[in-house]
Amino acid sequence: MAGKSGRDISAIPPRGWKHAIFRWESMLILVFVLVNILGVSISSAYSLNSVLREMPRYFAEMFIMFGMGYILILGDIDISVGSIVCLSATVACLSSNAGVPMVGVVILILLTGLACGVVNGLIATQFTELPTMIITLATQIIFRGIAEVSLGNGGSVALSSNIEGFNALATKLGKVVPISFFLILICGACFITILSKKTFGRELYAIGSNKTAAVYAGINVQRDRFIAYALTGFLSGLCGLFLVTTSFGANTTTGQGFEMEVIAMCVFGGIATTGGKGNLAGASIAAFVIFCLRIALGQANVNTQLILVVIGAMLVVSVLIPEISRRFTNARDKRRRA
Amino acid sequence: MSGKKSFLKKITGSREASLVIVLFVLGIVVTILNPTFFSLNNVGQIFRNNALTMIMAAGMLCVLLTGGIDISVTSILALSGMTVGLLQKYDVIHNVPLLFLIGIAIGVICGIINGLIISYGKVTPIICTMGFMYIWRGMAYVISNNKWASGNDVSGAFADFGKEGSIGPYIILVIVYVVFLVIMRWTSFGRSIYAVGSNKEAAKVSGIHVERILISTYAMMGILAGLSGVLSVSIYASAQPNMQYSKEMDVIAACVIGGTSMNGGRGSVVGTFLGALIIAIIAKALPLVGIDAIAQNLVKGIIILVVIVLNIMAQRTIDKREQSGKEI
Repeated sequence: MAGKSGRDISAIPPRGWKHAIFRWESMLILVFVLVNILGVSISSAYSLNSVLREMPRYFAEMFIMFGMGYILILGDIDISVGSIVCLSATVACLSSNAGVPMVGVVILILLTGLACGVVNGLIATQFTELPTMIITLATQIIFRGIAEVSLGNGGSVALSSNIEGFNALATKLGKVVPISFFLILICGACFITILSKKTFGRELYAIGSNKTAAVYAGINVQRDRFIAYALTGFLSGLCGLFLVTTSFGANTTTGQGFEMEVIAMCVFGGIATTGGKGNLAGASIAAFVIFCLRIALGQANVNTQLILVVIGAMLVVSVLIPEISRRFTNARDKRRRA
Repeated sequence: MSGKKSFLKKITGSREASLVIVLFVLGIVVTILNPTFFSLNNVGQIFRNNALTMIMAAGMLCVLLTGGIDISVTSILALSGMTVGLLQKYDVIHNVPLLFLIGIAIGVICGIINGLIISYGKVTPIICTMGFMYIWRGMAYVISNNKWASGNDVSGAFADFGKEGSIGPYIILVIVYVVFLVIMRWTSFGRSIYAVGSNKEAAKVSGIHVERILISTYAMMGILAGLSGVLSVSIYASAQPNMQYSKEMDVIAACVIGGTSMNGGRGSVVGTFLGALIIAIIAKALPLVGIDAIAQNLVKGIIILVVIVLNIMAQRTIDKREQSGKEI
């Protein structure tokens, strides 16, 4: 049954083998396999080992994806995450160089991220009339501005102490699997479970589908939005931490464009920016598709910028598919009726 | 309700009027701090350095009015600018009007593709233009083939058009704003853009071809982005694929400060121009009040935040006053 908004409303979740096969996540797994076949065929160096060696750089971004997924499902958006990454990486480097011990640096970096997220959340919940795009546009400029001011005239800082500490964070277990991978798995499991099984997660879908209805159903909409923004800020801080373990420094362009890459992962994974649709499992698979594609094309010496063209095209095609298939089904139904 | 509004209400009610007041106060403060700030040379520089943002802001206004957004503008700018730069580098074309036409043509093609996918593909504007942000920027890199067009390549009449002291950029700026002022105020096309942004369903029912309007707004945005690309090469006498990277947010910020609503249907050409001008003057005046140039972005962000929050507060008080005046 189609609702007022054109969305399908049905209390019974669709089941059956047809539904299990013809869903976006299964498509993504297929694409993932295809990308890996492509990788092996175009590059002789493409192997599990080499992929895992290049992964940590990309894994950092994946942390933000979990939070961004929540925000997009709410029907909001956060384009300030790249700047939060920049600010927290700056804080990490500056505080390390000032002689703060490793534990303090980690706490500081996570608090920085959380504070930025809380600022976003507070503004978004206090001024609900404002589109979140504008709020986070302003905070995007402000957070990076703070980083620029604290970096001073040089515009960059190199890590000079605590290097062992950051190296320890980048160690690979069994010399293959980086620690961040396990952290991603744990984070992913938690966030996916919360989203699909816990009340909080289901509330996010309710708010994203129909905010007014959610308010009348007794959901504390503003509290949930605040939590989502704070969480995303915290995860951006975490991303900054792991970014420093690969770059050992920060500059004014650190994390630039991350917000778009993260949103691209979510959208490619089937999360609709209009809210209430998609899940993090799909987004996670999509993230790995993009990572593997980047690594494979990079190893085959394809121009980095051409890779961006490919990813952009994938994104546009993936969002066009629902409309194309809808028109296709409509035309078929019309022919049948005739 | 009485038909007449008090003068004070008119001032506080009109976005342009309050922007003019802000601009006036800003001008007085800056003049007190530095009496020579508003010299002809300085003012000329302010316009010249911000011409690209100002030109694109006019197109962004139309896109925002329809309730959409276009974050691919600076990528279109890079693609058109890079093409024009390379055409000169390899001595293919040196004809100034032809180069402008080529840049604009590239822009309009990019814009139409954006518009087609958004209107007929029913894709959310931010996602579609995000995809094309990657695609156009990537294509600029691909055609550049890791080469830049520098001052040696961009010379002659084309570089003279935008070089310091030439009136070329100002003429283009004036033409763009006059044309957009006329279109948005006095043509049925301009009013249809407002109609589509205010209420898409109502616009459709009243016979407006919504898809066509959407495509034309994105095409106009493309034209201006392409034009800015050519102008950028002419002004800075160089073309790199990463030019104006991530400056699309500045364009959107200018519109937002100028009172354009992101939900569509509200905003004006004059307001957008004033918004862009305020950002430009503040950026130029910051060193005068002892703030380093590196704090420029921080101050800009805070201004945007303050402006939008003040706007909401004012709206709330107006709503409350109207509520209390009603007899229930």
